[in-house]
Amino acid sequence: MTAHLGEDAELYPLGILDDDAARNVERHVASCSECAERVARAQAVTVSLAAALPLATPSPALEQRLRESARPQRNAKRPRANLFPLALAAAFALAFLGLGWQQFVLRGRLHSEDIALVTMVQSHFNHVSMSPQSANPVAAKILYARDGSWIYIIADKPGGSLHAIARTATGSADLGELTSTGETATLLVHPRKRIVSIMLQRAGANVASARLAY
Amino acid sequence: MDELVEAFAARRPSGLEQAYALWSRLFFSVARHIISDSARAEDCVHDALLRVWRAPNRFSGNREMLKAYLVTCVRNESLAMLRSEGRRDARELKAARLAPVAAVDAPTVDPVETQRLQDALSRLPEEQRIALTLAYYGNKTHVEIAQELDAPLGTIKSRISMAMRKLQTELASAQRGRT
Repeated sequence: MTAHLGEDAELYPLGILDDDAARNVERHVASCSECAERVARAQAVTVSLAAALPLATPSPALEQRLRESARPQRNAKRPRANLFPLALAAAFALAFLGLGWQQFVLRGRLHSEDIALVTMVQSHFNHVSMSPQSANPVAAKILYARDGSWIYIIADKPGGSLHAIARTATGSADLGELTSTGETATLLVHPRKRIVSIMLQRAGANVASARLAY
Repeated sequence: MDELVEAFAARRPSGLEQAYALWSRLFFSVARHIISDSARAEDCVHDALLRVWRAPNRFSGNREMLKAYLVTCVRNESLAMLRSEGRRDARELKAARLAPVAAVDAPTVDPVETQRLQDALSRLPEEQRIALTLAYYGNKTHVEIAQELDAPLGTIKSRISMAMRKLQTELASAQRGRT
């Protein structure tokens, strides 16, 4: 076992240690009951410190989200030879693109989105409209594979450079800038981690967000 | 073992739901003090609680220890988000750091505990109180505090550690006085 934690035991619950020092605390307390107790005592102090914070109440939606996230995952196997879901997905993608995003389809942009479209219709996907986040929001949608293997963001009339920030279960990730082609801006990504929500930013300000339900 | 703690440690949904029902405002207040955007503060609470709840055998202890552990996780999740996004949006970082602890007459998370805390803080040496206040309410790292106070890093760590231990003793003493 490494030497005891010392002062880091009190600093850890305050969240002020750098990542390496914080990980060292977590590793150490897993095998040292003496330091684990010291950290626990310090954690109790942070509850008292939190008592003086301004009271804030979460929206009812948070409780619902937690319930849904905690629900046991179903491991339904998809028959590999069953083409119906693929056909349905393809039909839905084309209908969606045709109805909701006909402007850029009709303007001939589709040829440049071949890869994205082919990827989309070859797997199951969901879609979600992004919620406006500012007085000057952007209308945007996200198409994404149910297995989380790809995500396609489409923004209508972006009004400037748009940046996509993803949240995963362990932190956030910068997905990069949407490619603007005049009336629309798009971004296709193949994330390495399961993305739970996406925020669009324009000039550093949040303009739209959405959570992804798999 | 406490029923709630047992359910939480066993990863039963009821454990997560009970913990949330009891302490949701505490968790969200902690996150909201760090992340000014409500939706993202809720993301932090959601992600932190779910990660702890899903991790097997990560917790054993009583109900108050579970509460303190979860508060720590929510705070660390929120600080991680603040610092990662702060690199792109320094304005929000600054705004969060300037956020007041609680305005006069504004409701706090626990008014009774607030009074005990203020009494205990007032008994700390000034240099310890300042360092701890910058760390907890200012959301600053020990490196940033050392720069701001123009003091060696080791000195700052010692001041904060001492302040935490003294607070722990003071608050425990006040608790015994009440019971």
